[in-house]
Amino acid sequence: MPLEPIIQIENLTKTYRGSDVPALNNISLTISKGEIFGLLGPNGAGKTTTLSILCGFLRKDFGVVKINGFSIEKESNEIKKIVGLVPQEIALYETLTPLENLRFFGKMYGLDNDKLRQRTDECLTLMGLDKSRNKLIKTFSGGMKRRLNLIAGILHEPKILFLDEPTVGVDVQSRNVILEHLNEINKKGTTIIYTSHYMEEAEQFCTSIAIIDSGEIIVNGNPGELIRQNEGCTSLETLYLLLTGRKLRDN
Amino acid sequence: MKRLITSIHKEFLILIRDKAGLAILFLMPVFLIFVMTLIQDNTFRELDETQINILFLDLDGDSLGVGIEQGLKSSGFFAVTTKMENAELNQESMNRLVVEGKYQIGIVVTAGATETIRNKAKSVIEQQFSDEDIGNESKHGLKESGKIIVYFDPVIKNSYKQTVMMALQNFTNNVEAKINFEYFAKEISDQLSTENKLKFNSEGGVEIEEQYATGKLTETFPNSVQHNVPAWAVFAMFFIIIPLTGNIIKERDSGSVLRLKLIPGSYLVSMMAKVSLYIVVCLIQFVLMLIVGMYILPILGTPVLSLGPHKFALVCMALAVALAAAGYGVMLGTIAGTHDQAASFGAVSVIILAALGGIWVPVFIMPGIMQTISLFSPLNWGLEGFYELFLRGGGFTDILLQIGLLVSFSIVMILIAYQYQRIKRI
Ligand SMILES: Nc1ncnc2c1ncn2[C@@H]1O[C@H](COP(=O)(O)OP(=O)(O)OP(=O)(O)O)[C@@H](O)[C@H]1O
Ligand SMILES: [Mg+2]
Repeated sequence: MPLEPIIQIENLTKTYRGSDVPALNNISLTISKGEIFGLLGPNGAGKTTTLSILCGFLRKDFGVVKINGFSIEKESNEIKKIVGLVPQEIALYETLTPLENLRFFGKMYGLDNDKLRQRTDECLTLMGLDKSRNKLIKTFSGGMKRRLNLIAGILHEPKILFLDEPTVGVDVQSRNVILEHLNEINKKGTTIIYTSHYMEEAEQFCTSIAIIDSGEIIVNGNPGELIRQNEGCTSLETLYLLLTGRKLRDN
Repeated sequence: MKRLITSIHKEFLILIRDKAGLAILFLMPVFLIFVMTLIQDNTFRELDETQINILFLDLDGDSLGVGIEQGLKSSGFFAVTTKMENAELNQESMNRLVVEGKYQIGIVVTAGATETIRNKAKSVIEQQFSDEDIGNESKHGLKESGKIIVYFDPVIKNSYKQTVMMALQNFTNNVEAKINFEYFAKEISDQLSTENKLKFNSEGGVEIEEQYATGKLTETFPNSVQHNVPAWAVFAMFFIIIPLTGNIIKERDSGSVLRLKLIPGSYLVSMMAKVSLYIVVCLIQFVLMLIVGMYILPILGTPVLSLGPHKFALVCMALAVALAAAGYGVMLGTIAGTHDQAASFGAVSVIILAALGGIWVPVFIMPGIMQTISLFSPLNWGLEGFYELFLRGGGFTDILLQIGLLVSFSIVMILIAYQYQRIKRI
């Protein structure tokens, strides 16, 4: 079946002010509706920068970016209505409880009380936070905060969900819960764009990936196919190391 | 509207969870009013009510010395000491006592001071009534002229000095006039050979009556409480910019603001919620400070704060100041890079605006250029508005200008903040 594109990026370039190397250098990508898309790459590759431009937090220097057919500059309000974001950092009010946080964001999204109650109950239970719903977040462990950070981004059931390293710093159990839940959301029709450093996770989870390094896309496609195409590669991790090299980044 | 209430509720929760911050927010202004008013209450009194300690040494023993001593004693402004208990009072010991600060002022009328006046009067009058033109000094031989020496404690304020000098001048003039008159009278009776003596009467003439200019207010007078409570209240209210900028920057650093930016229109709502909540905080601070002025300070002997007759105008004025403070805080919090920046710049800028606004030093004694600059300080608008209500007895229409300026200032600040965060996408 012909895949319908939901995010189109053409020749996207971005150089941060005061920096002489571009954080994103002429990137082109198409992400189709219903995909789980993995944006993979070493530290400082430009993953967060890409998501920030897609969300409208950063201005691009050059290129064309469309989400669901809307231009990110001119129709940003249309885009905001259909996207959700799970930021890399924990973006919650530390001195409030999970319930207070979720109620606040939910109501800001305009969810009515019934819907809000149903969604918070559902998500908190699913993520194993039901018992902690009335404790202050600052008393939470890192993994608990991550799970709640995720819930705050999906509460309003967005059509497109951006996740910036949602599984970083969580244990195996939490990771599985998170990925399972994301899979479920995806089945209900949400397109997922997620960044990660975990190749094994991405190999299993993603329907499509792009490996980005130093602001450039090195490969892009279905993980299984990419492994097959490159001789000597048995997993996404070997492919990744083959393409990005073994030296340390981000220094 | 629903989202605004949701946001205010969230801000409220964040605020009350920080118990220590909350205590600081409400106790510090109370403490500030307390200390500032008490300090200034004393200086107000020193001029008005407490007496100036004066050492007085009369080496003249004649009309001038006696006249000045009586004058000083009867004026009520001065506590006059003429004898020391266990030491002799002379010019030397007087100098020492004043330098040591035991007395603020020492006055010596030197020997022959009255004589000097007499000689002068004599010569002037004789000149008038004699046909020949005789040099006065040569005839009466004024060898040594008596004088009045005043020692001042170097610490003493200029205003005290002026008070004392004026009083001395006044007493001296009186004695001089009397002596002149006596000679004049004597000369006239000599010339006219009458037995009737003319009498000197220094009383009468033009009287000066002192009154505070009040428009509509009759019962309150300018006093330390009426002056200080509104002034420091404005100052304290502006200090909410510190917790407010902290709140904004924390929200930004935590990334919660990113979520808000992804919800159409919610950023502005969130900003308005902060402004609304901190206005309420300001008003509570204001009420607490008024309570201190009305009920607590008087226990310590200060005058009771009077709110003036126009309570509605007072509420409007407080609201306008609160709005301006909150607007300024939102602007600073949005533009500042870190909380340290916001806190130090914020605190210093409020102090500068307060100084410019006339909260430390009255605007009218500033140099001309500073007086003009002070017109641009929102704290000046706040202060002027409150003075209108607290000291001049003005009503709502008298503070419309100040309210207008404060509200406009706030709107401009919020717009700057809103535009800044919209444009600032690097
Ligand atoms: N605010 C900024 N100002 C200047 N340079 C920045 C800024 N944010 C990121 N960069 C630079 O842009 C490049 C890409 O950063 P980005 O955060 O997109 O990387 P990333 O792929 O998300 O890395 P990580 O896996 O560590 O999160 C890096 O070289 C980084 O140093
Ligand atoms: Mg990143």
